[in-house]
Order: sequence, then C-alpha cells, then structure tokens
Amino acid sequence: MYYGSNHALKNISLDIDADRITALIGPSGCGKSTFLRTLNRLNDTIDNVTIEGNVEIDGVNIYEKGTDVVSLRKKVGMIFQKSNPFPKSIFENIAYGPKINGMNKKKDLEELVEISCRRAAIWDEVKDRLNESATGLSGGQQQRVCIARALAVDPEILLMDEPASALDPIATAKIEELMFELKNNLTIVIVTHNMQQAARVSDKCAFFFNGEIVEYSNTSKMFTRPENEKTQNYISGRFG
Amino acid sequence: MYHYLEEELEQLKMKIIKMGSLVEEQIANSFKALFEGNNELALTVMRRDDEVDKYDIKIDKHCQRIFALTQPVAFDLRLIMSALMINNDLERMGDIAVNISEQAEPLNDYTDLLRKMRLEDMTVKIKKIVKSSIDCFVNSDSELAKSVILMDDEIDKLDRELFYRITDEMKSNPDLIVPCAHLLALTSNIERLADHATNIAEDVIFLIDAKIIKHSKDPNNLKLKE
Repeated sequence: MYYGSNHALKNISLDIDADRITALIGPSGCGKSTFLRTLNRLNDTIDNVTIEGNVEIDGVNIYEKGTDVVSLRKKVGMIFQKSNPFPKSIFENIAYGPKINGMNKKKDLEELVEISCRRAAIWDEVKDRLNESATGLSGGQQQRVCIARALAVDPEILLMDEPASALDPIATAKIEELMFELKNNLTIVIVTHNMQQAARVSDKCAFFFNGEIVEYSNTSKMFTRPENEKTQNYISGRFG
Repeated sequence: MYHYLEEELEQLKMKIIKMGSLVEEQIANSFKALFEGNNELALTVMRRDDEVDKYDIKIDKHCQRIFALTQPVAFDLRLIMSALMINNDLERMGDIAVNISEQAEPLNDYTDLLRKMRLEDMTVKIKKIVKSSIDCFVNSDSELAKSVILMDDEIDKLDRELFYRITDEMKSNPDLIVPCAHLLALTSNIERLADHATNIAEDVIFLIDAKIIKHSKDPNNLKLKE
C-alpha cells in the first residue's frame, strides 16, 4: 500500500483467525492502523492511495471491482480511538444503522437496541435514559454505545483502533471484558499501543515495524518466547 | 522506562552473582573445614549463612518489585523467573554448606577415613559443577549449562561408588560404623549440591534458549554443539 510514493505497507501476508482477537502492535507510524483500515477499505477515502494485493473475507477479495463498500463496512465494523457518538439520543445512535438498512418498525428497533446494548454491556447503564443525548455519557460509556451501534448492524468482524487509549483503567477493563464476550461470535482485530492490553486480550499478535510484519504468532508465545530480537526489544519497551 | 528496567535487571543479576560467589565460598570452606578438621572455619560457615539468607530475601523482594512496577515480558520475564529459581537453589546450597560444616566436628578424628574413602574426588567435582553453574548464569552460556547437567551424571556415579566403599568399610570394620554413618549423611548432602547446580543450569537454559528442560528425559535437549 502506498501513500503517493511512500510505500506504507510492504509484503504483508497474514491469516486472521475467525472468532478470535488479533492484536496489531508496533511503534507509531509502523503501519498497523493503515493495515487495519485496509480491512474495511477505509483507506479508499484518502487521496493518492494505491493498494496492490488482496484482502479476502470468507474467501472473497474485498478489493475486487464492483465490491459494495457500504455492505462491506456493515460486515466489518470499526471502533475508533476517540468515541464518536452522533449528536443524537442513545437510542437514535444505535438505531441509526438498522434504520438506514430499512428497519422501520418501532418494536423491532427497540428490540435490536436492547440486544445491541446488552451485547455491548451498556444496557443496565442506559436503559432508563435511552432518549438522552449520547454525548452526555462518560467516555467509557460513549465508547460502549459506539460498540453497540457497530453491533446493531450485525457485523462479522470488528476493527478497533486503540479503543481504550483515552479511557481510565476501569472503563478500559470493561471494554476488555466486552471483547472477551464478543469474540464468541465475532472476529476482532485491535490496534493497541498498550503492550499489557495486547498480552491480556489477544489470542494472536502481529508486530509491525516500518510497514512490515516482523513477527506474527500466538500472543502467549510472543510475550514469552519472541523469535525476533526486534520484537523482544519492542515488547519490553526498549524502543517505540 | 526501559532504562529503569535495564538498571533493575542489571542490579538483580549482580545480586545473584554476589550470592553465587558467597555460596561458592561457603561450600569451599565447608569442605576445607571437613578435610582439615578445622572447627573454627566450620563455625564461620555456619555464621555466614545469615548473609546468604539476607541475599535470598533481598532477591525475592527485588523480583517482586520488578514484577509489580514493570510487567516484564519475554527475556526480561525469563530473567526474573530464573533469578527467583536460582535464588532458591543458592539458598538451599548455602544450607547444605552449613550441614556439611556441622558434620566436620564429629568427623574431626577421622580425616584418614575421609582420605581412604576418597571423598575428595567427589568434592573436587562438586566445586567444579557449582562454579560452572554460576559461571553459565554470569556469562549467559547455555552450552556450559548443558555440560553442567551432563556432569551431574558423573557425580551420581561417584556417589554410588562412595556409598559402596563406605558400606563395605562398615561391614569390615564395625568400630567405624558411627563415623561411616556420618559420612553417609555427608555424601548425601554433598550429592544434593550437584542437584542444585543442575537446577541452576536448567534455569540458565530456560533463560537463554526459552526451553523448559527440567524433568526432560530427552538426551537431544542436552546435545552439546560441536
């Protein structure tokens, strides 16, 4: 993948396991967020980007001509570092996606909002204030509302770009617990700068450096017996 | 952060090295006290065990602090885990040096018997295996660690030969049953030193090669490089 003439991602090849959490780690500028955005073609929105190669989801190349990018992003949801609720009510935030996908019955929407909130472990905190503005919630709650919003369109894959980096340890723990719950029937790919978080939550881990994957292995192996000296030095905080 | 961790790990390593050299000295002095019938030196060994115990506590606390403050991973994690295990073995070796020193007095009048039983053949090898086990940690040398593990087999063989020499002496010379019984207890202690040295060598292989080889019956694990 190139930004103009800058070769941002090189020779990337990895299989991401379904219903598992895969963490992407590496120093700033190493290409991990860029790689994450290739998985739902979010880089398409950036000018001057060239992409070579394939990204296959369920055996289908998402870069094939004619791919419906809107349905792709329905299938591959995304959570960003900073929670970004719409300036609407909690209910409207979560019902927004299903509504534009044609769900109009109030009862169906109410049911889906509840299911999504429960899956995002936010239901008990918002069930009595669904009509209040989502922007009035705490940072951790806003992030879980955003997760509920992503879940409401029933994605298969959830991309998370440093989803807890702006949260306190308690809110972070809630997000991490939620990820454990979700991976039972959702594939999660997370970018994190927090080594302990990568070690705690992920099943597999890919270490990016200068746009390449240096090492990709089971997380327990990477954090106890890394193969590459660069990986050892990065995960133990010697650079990055 | 990493400067802090590097400094902490370096200090931890230094503590293990200092403790190792103290334990090595304690063992050498306990043998000297035994062979020379030097009760004063035996007492010194017993008194200095406090120093070994202090290192034991210091190293435990240091490891606890590093775990709590830095959440080490990979090599750093293995270094701290090895330090904890090696500390435990060194402390036990220090206790054995005390046990050997305690046997010096009852065997004061039997230095000829010690010579006849060729106990020194074993203690020379023990000093070598103990030194090598500490050296392999100091120099991060997993090849030397493998040779330490192989050395333990030789010591086990010497221990068995010694056992038969002592029991033969007991049969042929009943007057020497009591000192021979002391000698049997002593050799059992001395042999345990080699076991602890072997444990240290296994910890060094865990540290350097990230392989757990303790309890392994696979000789390939111990194949030395040509």
